[in-house]
Amino acid sequence: MRDSQPGLLPTTAELTVATPEGVLFRLPLAGPAPRLYAMLLDTTIVLAGVNGLGYLVYFVFAKAPGFGVMTITLAEFAIGFSYGALLEGFWNGQTIGKRLFHLRVIDQSGLPLRIEQAWVRNLMRVFDALPLAYLVAGISVLSSPIMQRFGDRVAGTLVVRETPLVVSTDEIWGQQKYNSFMDYPAIVIRLRRAATPDLASLIQDALRRRNELAPYARREIYRELAAYLQSEISRFPDELIEILSDEQYLIDATGVLFNEPFHLHN
Amino acid sequence: MILDLERFQTQQRPRWHQLESLLALLESRPGRNLSPVEAESLQELYAQTAADLNRVTHGSLAPTLRQYLERLVARAYAELYYSRPTRAELWQPRRWLRIFTAFPEAFRRQSRFFALAVLITVLGCALGGLAVRYDPASVDVLLPADYLRNPSLRVHQEEKGQKRYLNATQAEAAFSAELITHNIEVALLAAALGVTFGVGTALLLFENGLLLGAVAVRYTQQGFGIFVTAWLLPHGAFEIPSILIAGQAGFYLAHLLLRRREDRDMRHSIGEWLLLIAGLAMMLVWAGLMEAFFSQHHAPVLPYRFKVTVGVAELVLLTIYLALIGRKETGAETSASVSEESE
Repeated sequence: MRDSQPGLLPTTAELTVATPEGVLFRLPLAGPAPRLYAMLLDTTIVLAGVNGLGYLVYFVFAKAPGFGVMTITLAEFAIGFSYGALLEGFWNGQTIGKRLFHLRVIDQSGLPLRIEQAWVRNLMRVFDALPLAYLVAGISVLSSPIMQRFGDRVAGTLVVRETPLVVSTDEIWGQQKYNSFMDYPAIVIRLRRAATPDLASLIQDALRRRNELAPYARREIYRELAAYLQSEISRFPDELIEILSDEQYLIDATGVLFNEPFHLHN
Repeated sequence: MILDLERFQTQQRPRWHQLESLLALLESRPGRNLSPVEAESLQELYAQTAADLNRVTHGSLAPTLRQYLERLVARAYAELYYSRPTRAELWQPRRWLRIFTAFPEAFRRQSRFFALAVLITVLGCALGGLAVRYDPASVDVLLPADYLRNPSLRVHQEEKGQKRYLNATQAEAAFSAELITHNIEVALLAAALGVTFGVGTALLLFENGLLLGAVAVRYTQQGFGIFVTAWLLPHGAFEIPSILIAGQAGFYLAHLLLRRREDRDMRHSIGEWLLLIAGLAMMLVWAGLMEAFFSQHHAPVLPYRFKVTVGVAELVLLTIYLALIGRKETGAETSASVSEESE
């Protein structure tokens, strides 16, 4: 189990940064969907801004419509290209859309991005947007291990999710009063000793994302995880297993792994 | 070593909160300047929190705590290892004006990629010109637009001013903006297509050359050589070199991508690409204004010789600017930049 962990792939893509002091920390990467939503919001903001400006220009240049068209065409072009570059460059990697969707552009070394990088990744949109609706960017993000579109690859940047800086205490496995696994202390000890941190995190993650998973996918994932724990890690008696759903099995297992006072080898 | 997680959290939490407060204070300051005491404190708290993270990472079953510490260490790491440009640096006019000298310097440093762009465009021109010259059937393929196929009709329209609106200056202003934005977009695409390892850039330049060669030969064949020169040169003197510079930027980008494994810090080299883009965008603004306000006026309003002279003068000035403005690279500097690139 410790050497081979079948199916233990990370549930979310992460960037692992190694600092010069040898400390490793992980940053969760943003998937294509929130990035698309943020971009749509930013596009709406730009369009609204340009249209608002258009009305203003229409009144100011009422007697010289040609110059009005010139002003609005140039302004639309300049705003379209510089909105992302300026905001990301001066607002620590965030546009309004990215801020609302808790995303941030950073340098791929884990440091804040520089202004030049913000410009490069935004100018490269002319390629990423090809042939329509950012198809090239989408393919690039899905094929990149760190979810970079071509603009990010060239600029050396990536988009991360901003996780909240709080320790959550209201986990479901912390709320249940009775855990049927605790009736089998010998098996519980075996479970605690055999479960690696990665496996424990995987189960915890699967439970946390309960409502994000489609019912069928949730049933399958929980069934596979419970079966894996039961067959490879710690075999609880059949009479107990028969009355537990796969989800309850995982909740009990997580309760055992995370909530009881525990002493760990470091 | 046995880790009692609850005790560990209780003991270390004040320190983590201290680091959180210090980071919040720094992030709220516009310049994010650190006093010596704060810098020392940040360094110390960062090192201690990083050590705490190491303890939690190895063997512990505390993913939420680990995530919290990772986030804290990531923020402190960013503050310690990233030097932000100060406000004064950002808004210094001299810094922004430096672009006018930095652009030709970058152009000269990467001149071999410009030569490649010229070569591909010339090949396209030659093929387009030869095709129109020796194979009349190719005209329909190479010059699909009617105004390109029938120079006499176009020259007649232009000279009579049939394409003009009542208020010519107004129309020219709107037209110039259209030209500027369209040309910059095309040039930017040529430069960005460097990510296809230069193949897309080369194809775009070749196609551009093909069209240029075909038009030039078609108009000259039908006796409108002076017209087409006077028509295209005043804006083409800036527009064509800027497309070539876009090709130069594209090939430079391809070069950076090809040797990315050797050049770990590609992020520094990419500034050169940005400089070329900024320079060609300035050139295209001028080209757009000239095309809308000057090139579209023909004899007798503007004599063709005068227009050609203006175009040639622009070309000479541009050549002087690109070849001479900015710092001269001495032999030592050149070898230094070469060794820097190959590091």
